[in-house]
Amino acid sequence: MNVLIIEDEKSLAREIQTYLAREHYLCELAFTGRDASEKIAVNLYDFILLDLGLPDYEGLDLITEAKKINHQAAFIIITARGAVEDKIKGLDLGADDYLAKPFALPELVSRMNAIARRKFGVSTNIVEIGDFQVNIHARKVLCREKEVVLTKKEFDLFQYLILNKDKVLARTQLHEHIWGNELDDSYDSNFIDVHMKNLRKKLIGHAPVHWLETVRGVGYRINS
Amino acid sequence: MKLQGKFALFNALSKIAFVLLFLLMMPFVLERINIINTDNDLIDKRERVIDLISEFGVEPFIGVQENSFGSYNILKEEYISLELVELDEYWNFIEVTTRLVEDEIIDYRVLNYSFYVDDEMYLLEIGKSLSSIRQTEINIRWIALILLLVFVAVTLILDISYIKILFKPLEQIIQLKINKVNDPELFDFQNIKTTTEDFRTLDLTINNMMKRIQVLFKKEREFTSNVSHELLTPVSILQSKLENLLNDPTISGEAQVKISDSLRTLGRLKGIVNSLLLIARIENEQYLKKEDVDIAELISEVAGELRDQFDAANILLETSLPGNSIYSKANRSLLYTMFMNLYGNALKYTNREGVVKTGYFMKNERLVIEIHNTGEGIDPKHLTEIFSRFKKFSSENIESHGLGLAIAKSIADFHGISLSASSEKCRGTSFTLHF
Repeated sequence: MNVLIIEDEKSLAREIQTYLAREHYLCELAFTGRDASEKIAVNLYDFILLDLGLPDYEGLDLITEAKKINHQAAFIIITARGAVEDKIKGLDLGADDYLAKPFALPELVSRMNAIARRKFGVSTNIVEIGDFQVNIHARKVLCREKEVVLTKKEFDLFQYLILNKDKVLARTQLHEHIWGNELDDSYDSNFIDVHMKNLRKKLIGHAPVHWLETVRGVGYRINS
Repeated sequence: MKLQGKFALFNALSKIAFVLLFLLMMPFVLERINIINTDNDLIDKRERVIDLISEFGVEPFIGVQENSFGSYNILKEEYISLELVELDEYWNFIEVTTRLVEDEIIDYRVLNYSFYVDDEMYLLEIGKSLSSIRQTEINIRWIALILLLVFVAVTLILDISYIKILFKPLEQIIQLKINKVNDPELFDFQNIKTTTEDFRTLDLTINNMMKRIQVLFKKEREFTSNVSHELLTPVSILQSKLENLLNDPTISGEAQVKISDSLRTLGRLKGIVNSLLLIARIENEQYLKKEDVDIAELISEVAGELRDQFDAANILLETSLPGNSIYSKANRSLLYTMFMNLYGNALKYTNREGVVKTGYFMKNERLVIEIHNTGEGIDPKHLTEIFSRFKKFSSENIESHGLGLAIAKSIADFHGISLSASSEKCRGTSFTLHF
């Protein structure tokens, strides 16, 4: 899939590109609004990651421009402004999602994944791992046609790991995905480990989970 | 006591004191005046009698056979007598004497005056009864008393109304300005109308002071906001770099652990920056308050979100909530954050196997919610500071930035909810929210 990353911080744009490339996304970079505007007019993209804080351009105008020429790209707005109005305005203009800076790259990937399923009907809503089928849309896990009952948090963690498979997810990243930045936290907390222990226990009750790896001192990874 | 009250009281007391002094002195003064008046009157009458005698002789008064003449008016208040006497000297004096008049003893003030007519000495007595003199005195005293009381009453009413008008600007300065100094944002810079120079100066000074405070507040918030905002971009870049590095297949497991640790530290930094930015934005009123929020439902949601963590820490989370608890003109996501932080705080400071209880009651038709947690409690001397930024008082080494309660407080303030804390050593802490 083709992605246009519109971000004036070149260093950040390159990091996003690197991460997405591993997920087999083809990325192009635009460091200015003008450049982005030209690229949108000429090329076709599946995703456009749009930083609103462009020095030369009102970022939200790019969405309007794209819609005008019937560009089918899914817009994900990225901004450090974090003002609620920006978010509402962006979503009103037809953006598909919104991420406040600083965001975790796995979070971006899982959002893009969700949009891809919803918008482009890419593959189905069901992801298979080992003997398990995970229905992302219905939020259900089946093992040989039997349902594995998970709590909300356990499902969130499981899904996050699956959508970022073959990647180590650090506890911090998992924590942030589950509880957001809402809490004044103790990142030391072992809550993630408690949840992962429970999740593993429930899954093992149905089938072996050798693909669910604990990365010592770091976090967890699902290997395909 | 208010200044104008003191003024009015002083005025009233000083007037009453003067009136009392006057009333005390009045008998003596009046008596003196009365006596002088009476004496003048007696002398005046003597002159007229002497005039008559010098014109007509004594015969019209005293017959040829008689040697005295006396005349009383009906009520015996006055008398005149003329008598043939033999004295060694001339008499001309006024005295108080008692006279028996028709079986009645009456005190008189009497003028005695002797003179010669045709080589015979006559004594003229003109008397005025003392009771009649006193009667006049009492009448005057009553009239004076009534007049004085009326005077005091009228001047007091005038004084009080005038003081009230005079002090109205001060009253306004206190009510509209000084009482609102804690809310520099809502301060009204409209000048108070007054012709009193002192009040005008006071008003201007307060206005100038508040203007300076407002500017400083604004600067501080802008600074926090800008710094936080500027920090987010480098943090963002660092985070992405670390996340990429974490999944670089060429690095060792040891390096991975270090990167993960760095990510955690970066996460803390992010938490601080985001929290400061959130507080700055709330204080800058960058959020809308337009939603109707069901508090009970909101608390249930927060409790649901955190239940796993409470369970993992073996802490009992009890919530009893009102059925109808719609709070209007609110910002739901901010209130969510507020409760998240309050419960998160409770989670952190509750002892293992402790209890976090949520109760409610109505006070003056307003909902009051109380979140109580067991645990070691907060030292009373720290209680006022727990809502300040970066304050942590737990002896345990918990990795947190201490902004949670500051966030909760600023959200509560933003909504006009009063948030307070109370604590008992070894029994736990309560947070109370008055909606």
